[in-house]
Amino acid sequence: MSILSTLLQFFIFYEIYRVLYHGAEQVDGITLKAVTTNFVLSLGLGAVFSPNDYFLPGKISDGSISTELLRPISFKGRMIAENVGNSLFDLIFKFMPVLAVALLTTGMSAPAGATELLLFVISAILGFGVLFSISFAIQMTSFWLINVWSITTIKNVFINVLSGSMIPLWFMPEGIRKVLDFTPFASIYFTPVQIYLGQLSFRETAEKCIIQIVWIVVIYAVGNVLWKKGQQKLVVQGG
Amino acid sequence: MSFIEVKNIKKTYHVSKRRSGIPGMIANLFVPKYEKREAVKDISFSIEKGEMVGFIGPNGAGKSTTIKMLSGILYPDSGEIICSGAVPYKQRKNYVGRIGVVFGQKSQLQWDLPVKDSFELLKAIYRIPDDTYRKNLDRFTEMLDMSGFIDQPVRQLSLGQRMRSDIAAALLHSPEIVFFDEPTIGVDVLGKEAIRSFIRELNAEDNVTMIFTTHDMQDIEKTCNRVIIIDEGSKVYDGTLMGVREKYGSSRKLEVEFMTDTVTEPIEGVETVDTDPRHKSFIFGKEIHINDIMAELLQKYSVRDINITESDIESIIRKIYSKEETV
Repeated sequence: MSILSTLLQFFIFYEIYRVLYHGAEQVDGITLKAVTTNFVLSLGLGAVFSPNDYFLPGKISDGSISTELLRPISFKGRMIAENVGNSLFDLIFKFMPVLAVALLTTGMSAPAGATELLLFVISAILGFGVLFSISFAIQMTSFWLINVWSITTIKNVFINVLSGSMIPLWFMPEGIRKVLDFTPFASIYFTPVQIYLGQLSFRETAEKCIIQIVWIVVIYAVGNVLWKKGQQKLVVQGG
Repeated sequence: MSFIEVKNIKKTYHVSKRRSGIPGMIANLFVPKYEKREAVKDISFSIEKGEMVGFIGPNGAGKSTTIKMLSGILYPDSGEIICSGAVPYKQRKNYVGRIGVVFGQKSQLQWDLPVKDSFELLKAIYRIPDDTYRKNLDRFTEMLDMSGFIDQPVRQLSLGQRMRSDIAAALLHSPEIVFFDEPTIGVDVLGKEAIRSFIRELNAEDNVTMIFTTHDMQDIEKTCNRVIIIDEGSKVYDGTLMGVREKYGSSRKLEVEFMTDTVTEPIEGVETVDTDPRHKSFIFGKEIHINDIMAELLQKYSVRDINITESDIESIIRKIYSKEETV
């Protein structure tokens, strides 16, 4: 089902932009091909990067967190392992089909080169790290909030709009774009896509990857502080 | 330094007070109401290695909270806990590998997997050496009579079977301390007996320290030599089960059936309860010798039957819970 919905999403976006381009080669110097490539990659990566936002909240809300804490293993490590495992599954069963269908139907740009492809993979992994850190930190609020549906939804709207997966960030006004470049949101999908298309110089690539790493460290550290504090606040629900 | 040292632990919960109905929901949105509830207030005790201790107390007394603090799940707001040389909530990862916990109300097994697969998973998580695992598994399978259902998925087990599997699961890694939170809840008489004898045997053979909470006084009578009674977050009693009787329930009751309708004269220090003209109960404390009452009754009246009862532990506990004056 999720494969179908991902494919459907892709075609809807493609059609919208095809109509908007109205046969033109390029708009604002951006080709339809680049836009399509952006969709294929960010939708594909989006399907792979789907951290379970309700992993900890669910366990806190039904009290099964107590069973988890009784195991002699790191709970944070377990969260990461579970997400990486799910993502590997999604990589094969969601990303690959979207990629295949896109190649066969709409076509997309090939990676700018072998180096770019390798850097794309590294940057995509870092992007996943940023996304996971955000989810991790937000999940930690469930120690206080118990019900995190609203804050999670707000987070997801931010990511959808500001990460460039819906509207490629090329179309954003220059000023906003400059700001977004330094937010964690642009680090998730847009940085890997730009690297893939060869739009960044080596220096820029390095800078953007460092921004990704800094965000992972900062957001994870915030989450970790919340985790430490949260454990002291923990109330096991349901007796 | 005892094996388990608990000093002045406290835990306060913030309980949200929700008003009901739509106006209530809107009110909650703007003015959430919280109430502080002291689940545990200032409890201290120490337990030696190999002891079996029963925690009893009414619902909401703070037993489970205490157990959760001892097992490293919850942080106490203040106070100190040291179990087997570790501070449970600070050295959680290391500590929980050395303890076992059984929650009667929550299964720790994998719902859709056969019991045996759940055990295999635990073997990997706890890094149990092969020979220890084999030995424990064989031993528990036999002691808890699990061979009939060890290959069935957990969701298809009866409550008694599930509980036995859960107990075995908590003990596979040969823990030093085992916590049982209501291990016999909802289990039938035979099942309870199997669980109790298993617990006794394990304590005797392996010198495992065990801490229980339960509402079934029989569990305590048949397994523990020491009880800690907790009520409203405070320790009310700590000592032997015999001691509870001596402290709170020294009264005895003599039920007498007379041959004819009889009116008795009051006896000093004895409370007389009339059931009907032919039946009467005499309740008296330790200071009165039973012979004296019997002699007086037999001398003055014609008696058909006499029955002596000591107040059972259950009714003593009931008295402690309801804060009645002890008789």
